[in-house]
Formats: sequence, C-alpha cells, structure tokens
Amino acid sequence: MNRATDTAAEGAARRLETVVGGVLRAGVMLSSVCLAIGLLLSLSGSAASAAALVLQIGILVLLATPVARVLVSTVQYISERDWPFASLTLIVLVELLASVVAALIFNKKL
Amino acid sequence: MPVVTASLALIIFLAGTVAGGLGALLGLGGGVFLVPFLNLVLGFPFGVAAAISLTTVIATSSSVSAARAGKQLINMKLGMLLEVATAGGSLLGGVTAQMIAQGTLQKLFGILSAIVAMIMLTRITRRNVILDPNIDPGVLGGRYHEDESGGTVTYRVRRLPVAIVASFFAGNVSSLLGIGGGFIKVPVLNAWCGIPLRAAAATSAFMIGVTATAGAVIYYGHGQLPAALAATAVLGVQLGSWAGMRFGASASVKWLKILMAAVLFIISVMMFSRGLR
Repeated sequence: MNRATDTAAEGAARRLETVVGGVLRAGVMLSSVCLAIGLLLSLSGSAASAAALVLQIGILVLLATPVARVLVSTVQYISERDWPFASLTLIVLVELLASVVAALIFNKKL
Repeated sequence: MPVVTASLALIIFLAGTVAGGLGALLGLGGGVFLVPFLNLVLGFPFGVAAAISLTTVIATSSSVSAARAGKQLINMKLGMLLEVATAGGSLLGGVTAQMIAQGTLQKLFGILSAIVAMIMLTRITRRNVILDPNIDPGVLGGRYHEDESGGTVTYRVRRLPVAIVASFFAGNVSSLLGIGGGFIKVPVLNAWCGIPLRAAAATSAFMIGVTATAGAVIYYGHGQLPAALAATAVLGVQLGSWAGMRFGASASVKWLKILMAAVLFIISVMMFSRGLR
C-alpha cells in the first residue's frame, strides 16, 4: 500500500474517532443529567409532571445518541468521499428509522 | 407497572452498578446480568426487564466508547459494516418475537451460549496477533498500542461472512431478550475472525448502542419502558462501567477469557431451565 494514502486514511480514521467520541460523550452526559434530575424530582414527590417530562427527555436523548453517532459518521464519510462506508452507515440510519416506524405502528395498534 | 419507591430505586441502582461493572470488564454491555435479575429476582414482566436493560446497554456502549475513542482500539470501519447486520437482526427480532414461543428461544439461547463458552475455553492461549507492525492490516483490519506488552498489535480480519452472520444473529437475540449481544459477537470475532480480544470487545461495545437502540425504540413505542426505573438502572450501570473500565485496564486477557466463559455457562443453565418451564 502507498505510504501517503495510508497516512491519509489513518488521519481520517483518527478524526472520525474524535468526532464520534465527542457526540457519545455529550449524549451520555446530557441524558444522565436529565435522568438524575428527573429521578430526584420524582422521588421527592413534588412536581410530578415536571419529573415525568425531564425523565422522558433523558430517555429520548439516550435513544438519540447512537443515531446521532451514525449520522455524524455518514456525514464524515461523505465529506471524505468514502462511498462504500457512506452507503453502509446510511443503511444503518434507514434501519434505525424503520425501527421508529415499527414502534409508531405498534403504538397505534395498542 | 411496578411502583417506584426509594428502596426499589436503590436496589435497581445497585444491581445496575454490578451489571455495569461486569459488563465493562467483559465487553458484554451488562444486560446479560440485568435481565435475569429484573425478571427472575424482582419479578418484572420480561418485556419491561428487556426494555430497561436495553437502555442501560445503550448508555454503557456510549460512555465506554466515548472513553475509548482515540485509542484505535475500536475498529470503527468493521463496526459500522457489521452494524448493518446487527441493526437488521434487531429490527427483525421485534417481529419474530411475536411468532416464536419464548421457551423455544430460551432453550436455543442456552445451548448456543454454552457452545460459545466452550470455544472460548479451548482457545484460551490463542491470541491471533500478528507481531510484525509493518504488516498491512487491510481495509477492515486494525492496529493499536497495547500497554500490557508495550508493543503495537496489528491484525487482519478473516472470515468476514462469519462475522456478518454472527452480528445479524446477535442483533436478533439482542432485540428479543434485551441484551447487547456482545456475548455472541466477541467470541466469534476473537476465535474465528482473527481479532484480538481487546479490539473485539471494544468494537462490539461500540456497535451494541446502535443494536440496542433499534430494539429499545420498539419497546418504547409499546409503552414497556418505565422512565424512572430505566433512569435508576442507567445511572447505576454508568457508575459500574466507569469502575469496571478502571479495573479492566489492569486485568489480563487470559482472565477476561476465563471469566467470560464462566459467565456464559451460568447464563446457559439459567436460560435453558427457564425455557423448560
């Protein structure tokens, strides 16, 4: 393998790791803070509706974090014109979207 | 749905801490311990136990991978390729769960995890490491610095179709039973595909977040995800996986393999006996 392209590929991989790590860290921190606040509110017994809302936000941020991680990977691969991996991550996004659609369908049935 | 009291919250928090700690050490995600605890010990409906467990799997995957990012231990390209299979399997798991009897699945699960545990034990001294750091790892291979030996570990991915099939199956089981599926992927990637245990565990833990999300979203849509209980479990698992990561860096690969095999045998017996009922 060509030494120059090898270094370029490794540099791109390193940048992606940094971006992905940042997204995951931010998502985990935000959802953990929401879940902790929501939990303390609901255990204290006061502000039940606020507690429920904050807990729901925490759960949704948690569920959205891996989706956001795949999304930034797709964007990164597209910007680097790495079409095979841009396509693969796009397929994963479609699969995640399909699970949301399945959830909505099940939700209507029940 | 169980009522959330301070004592129940504390029990789930502690269970989450233990599950998260073991999960981080083994690259399993922690769900394999939490589902039996919530279902068998606390008596939650299986769907609720699975849903809560899946949210902790997502949290573990995200926090563990965030901490590991930048160390080249996670094989991102391989992970993203295999995610296509795990997410597909996870989606299909939501549908097949309605058609296959729970007992049949549990027995199958028990047999399979015992086989994987035996594979781990027979290959305990194999490392699949190419010591020459100048070798070409290929598009899907990897290279990382190992603190234990102080050297650079380089590997190529072998038998990719096996990894894809195992990932699809792991995704399927994940969605059906509320676990991460790492206990299927890690031994297969390590034993058959030439990936060192540390890299296999890191890559599996990375993928598990996406796999569990595809399943958890469906449970959430079903209304089977009690937010307060999930919050308690998630926070406990976060604490446990943080502690497990610190300890995990000093644990040897051989110990990880033995520990993982023992865990798999226990799960096997539990699942099989439950399936017989």
